[in-house]
Amino acid sequence: MRLGMVIDRKRCIACYSCMISCKQSHALPPDMFWNRVLVSETGSYPTVTKEILPVICNHCKEAACVEVCPTGATTKREDGIVYVDADKCVGCRYCLVACPYQMRTYLSDNKKEYWPGQGLTELEKFGREVFYPLQEKTVVKCNFCIERMDKAKEDGLTIGIDREATPVCVNACPVKARTFGDLDDPNSNVSKLIKERKGHQLHHEYGTEPSVYYLD
Amino acid sequence: MKLSEWMVKPTPQTEWIDKRGILFWLAVFFIELGAGAFFVGTIFKSIEAMLIGWLICGVLGGGIHVLYLGHPFRFWRMVSKPGSSWISRGLIFISVFLVLGLIYMILTQVGSSSPILMILADLFAFLSIVYAGFAMNYVNGIALWNTALLPVLYAVSGLWGGAGLALGIALASGNVSTVGISVEEWIRVLLISYVVLLIAYLISVRYTNPTGKFSVQEIVAGKFKALTWFVVVLLGLVVPVTVVLISLNAGLENMPAAVLYFTILCELLGDLTLRYLILKEGLYSPLIASSAYPSASGY
Repeated sequence: MRLGMVIDRKRCIACYSCMISCKQSHALPPDMFWNRVLVSETGSYPTVTKEILPVICNHCKEAACVEVCPTGATTKREDGIVYVDADKCVGCRYCLVACPYQMRTYLSDNKKEYWPGQGLTELEKFGREVFYPLQEKTVVKCNFCIERMDKAKEDGLTIGIDREATPVCVNACPVKARTFGDLDDPNSNVSKLIKERKGHQLHHEYGTEPSVYYLD
Repeated sequence: MKLSEWMVKPTPQTEWIDKRGILFWLAVFFIELGAGAFFVGTIFKSIEAMLIGWLICGVLGGGIHVLYLGHPFRFWRMVSKPGSSWISRGLIFISVFLVLGLIYMILTQVGSSSPILMILADLFAFLSIVYAGFAMNYVNGIALWNTALLPVLYAVSGLWGGAGLALGIALASGNVSTVGISVEEWIRVLLISYVVLLIAYLISVRYTNPTGKFSVQEIVAGKFKALTWFVVVLLGLVVPVTVVLISLNAGLENMPAAVLYFTILCELLGDLTLRYLILKEGLYSPLIASSAYPSASGY
């Protein structure tokens, strides 16, 4: 099994639902995004095109971050999810530098509040200390909602089909621009989309084999 | 940087140079300078250069490197993946060098130094010098770093800096006529190699991809041009070349000590600044093309 995602750029409307739902479900501090929506313009008047690119950790098959991690904190699971074991991370940030997609973040301060100077609200405290505690001075990143995947396997749910077995950013997308599933299964929804719509990866020239594909 | 600008144009790496990243820059410089001085010290039998180099590498370089970590007390975990991680290898190289170097210095002082031990200590000193170059070279997302010339440039600059430091120590300890003259011969060769390598490095990066070209442009003619031309080129290269040419005619022992000290300081400052620029201008290619940077489509 190799979990992966397909993002249809033609459908994406840059509503930022993926960013917000991810931020909310992982109780991320200010300035930290595991999901991002990049927006830019190409061309010049009168033929200007607005480019939208939602980005997320690519959970690469040949992940540079896994190779460079000196402690083995960043590892790749059998289902293809690249995750960080915070207890092993020393915070050297080599993985951050080595990732050509810059999808990792160093969590220097998990006490940073959304309302500066007023301390953490009860909701923020609950989120960061109980609901989704992250370890300070370590590197964090998207984990394809690993806890949902693990629960889904226990409960016998179908990954990418059942809502409880699908990352929150996929569920939150109002235009269904995101699809999640098993890339190794030729009959999965993601594999079919990639084949039919000629899905491609970001910066394939780096040889990292990203598990996130894009449809143009 | 606004969120909308992130990765739609060349994005600089910040982790190894901004804020606490400054520690990484300094750590690499001191490790290479110290290991270089030890290496040169063993060749020319200068215990002072060996000891000061060992201290700079271990205490300053190693200490700052550990301080840079988010969890310094977990640093021992970093040796667990030498098979794939250059940081793991680097920690092993530096640790082994520090142990072997210390034993070698002690044995030298008691009069029973072993040439095999010296070769091993020098080997690990050299590996400590080149490790950061390889660690950076491995990052294929940054064109300025992803070139085989970078580790070579770092190796030469580490040895050159070490030789300069060894010369300064020889001057201070009154060993100009014995150690100093021999070290200066090394400096001449290393200086020429450094200049040639630096030019070759910048030219080769310029032709890798648009981001590499942009990085080189930023260094040579961009926001850091004053640092490049005044500190790296004028102080770091022109001053040492001029002094080496003068000393070729006048003889090193006839050169005023103040001029030599100033030259060594310029050399180290130039080297440190170049390393800063290489870290600062380490740019990632954009993920999507933008009007601000239309030539580097991410696909």
